[in-house]
Amino acid sequence: MRPIIGITSYVVPATWGVWHEVSTALIPNDYVAAVELAGGRAVILPPDERDADVLRVLDGLLLAGGPDIEPGRYGAEPAPLTESRPERDAGEFLLVRKALELDLPVLGVCRGMQVLAVATGGTLHQHLPDVLGHEQHRPAPGVYGEHEARFEGGSLIAKLMGDDLGIHCYHHQGVADPGTLRVTGRTEDGLAEAVEAPDRRFVLGVQWHPEVTRDQRLFGALVEAAG
Amino acid sequence: MRRPLIGMTAYAQQVQYSNNDLMAGMLPMTYVRAVHATGGRAVLITPDDPDIDVLDSLDGIVFSGGGDVDPAHWGAERHPATDTDAARDASEMMLMKAALDRDLPILGVCRGMQVMAVAGGGTLHQHLPDLTGNELHQAAAGTDPLAADAAAYGRHDVVIEPGSRAHDLLGPRLVVNSFHHQAVDDPGKFTPVGWCPDDRIVEIIESANHTFALGVQWHPERTADLRVFTALAEAAAERSGLARREFARR
Repeated sequence: MRPIIGITSYVVPATWGVWHEVSTALIPNDYVAAVELAGGRAVILPPDERDADVLRVLDGLLLAGGPDIEPGRYGAEPAPLTESRPERDAGEFLLVRKALELDLPVLGVCRGMQVLAVATGGTLHQHLPDVLGHEQHRPAPGVYGEHEARFEGGSLIAKLMGDDLGIHCYHHQGVADPGTLRVTGRTEDGLAEAVEAPDRRFVLGVQWHPEVTRDQRLFGALVEAAG
Repeated sequence: MRRPLIGMTAYAQQVQYSNNDLMAGMLPMTYVRAVHATGGRAVLITPDDPDIDVLDSLDGIVFSGGGDVDPAHWGAERHPATDTDAARDASEMMLMKAALDRDLPILGVCRGMQVMAVAGGGTLHQHLPDLTGNELHQAAAGTDPLAADAAAYGRHDVVIEPGSRAHDLLGPRLVVNSFHHQAVDDPGKFTPVGWCPDDRIVEIIESANHTFALGVQWHPERTADLRVFTALAEAAAERSGLARREFARR
């Protein structure tokens, strides 16, 4: 039996066939394909605020990309360009806190890394161009920013990535304070690009989008840790 | 006490949202809300890599609406209006047969009822307007399909066989919404127990040999009448030895 990896989902008004702007739980297929290529069984977790019991049947948790986290979760007022979905936050924070407590393997992608940081007491930059003075983490709509990351020697992410340090980013927020996690990767501008929990079996957050290339270095490690 | 975990078969569909146009694993939230409102916890089962191992984790399963079942599954030629999804067919036929084998509680909605019938050896009508000459089961004439919403659905009566399990659950008669152009012809090993009285199209199938295997041709998830979802949650809870107190009778 394959390890079961739960993927947190978006809820968006979606359009397909004869259906127009229907409220839909969805996840880009890249995430599903990346998990299945690694030998896992993907299931999609629609937001649910009641409890985290679904973790009982999961072997690993994949926190997907998505909208901004509600700034109240880290004690800030919303900035003008912050767009959040509180109902998704509620479901994901419930899951991630319980998963950390259970030491379930967790991979956080983009927003998912930010959820990990905030759930452990961290904070975010709400709009990176205001902080960094450039737009290289999201150059234009639909265009990924290409970077070379620097990883901390001996870290999980350094081991997984090996010699190929290229990453592609698409985000306008970033981790300011990683909470109880450790920052193990940064871009040339100093922004946190990877976080880990060294006291857990496998808790890794990356600010870039490994699912787009179905990067088996990361998804393989998640499924292996879950197996 | 934990809630029953209800798997729901998902679409793998090219979809547009915000500025995106991409392939996604997805399901309308109406289905998710129907499960959560009746005491279950929904997880979506993507069709991408067909296997049945995921069933080991579930207390019940919903086979969702969607495109047409490929007539090759019951040995028929394809009608020009038939629009199929090979990946979903492959995955759902396998999951349906395995779920029936292990007596996992099953609810089939629209396409899901049709998958149930075909997996049980039955057949479908491929295009109802050819058969009935009416459009009771589809959106009203003049409806803009791109603006399809609840009000655009067809609406008709369903009469239910006295003595059936569906009759215990739903009573002798109800009014349903409807949005389909295929329908069950031969229900295979299932029992047809509900019909549209105007054209005798089968609207409900059930199994006497399973704990809970019910198929409905309409879309209860888009209505306030969630009795079939409540019944699934109860059957799933009972099968897995969960407390029943949370699942109050209608």
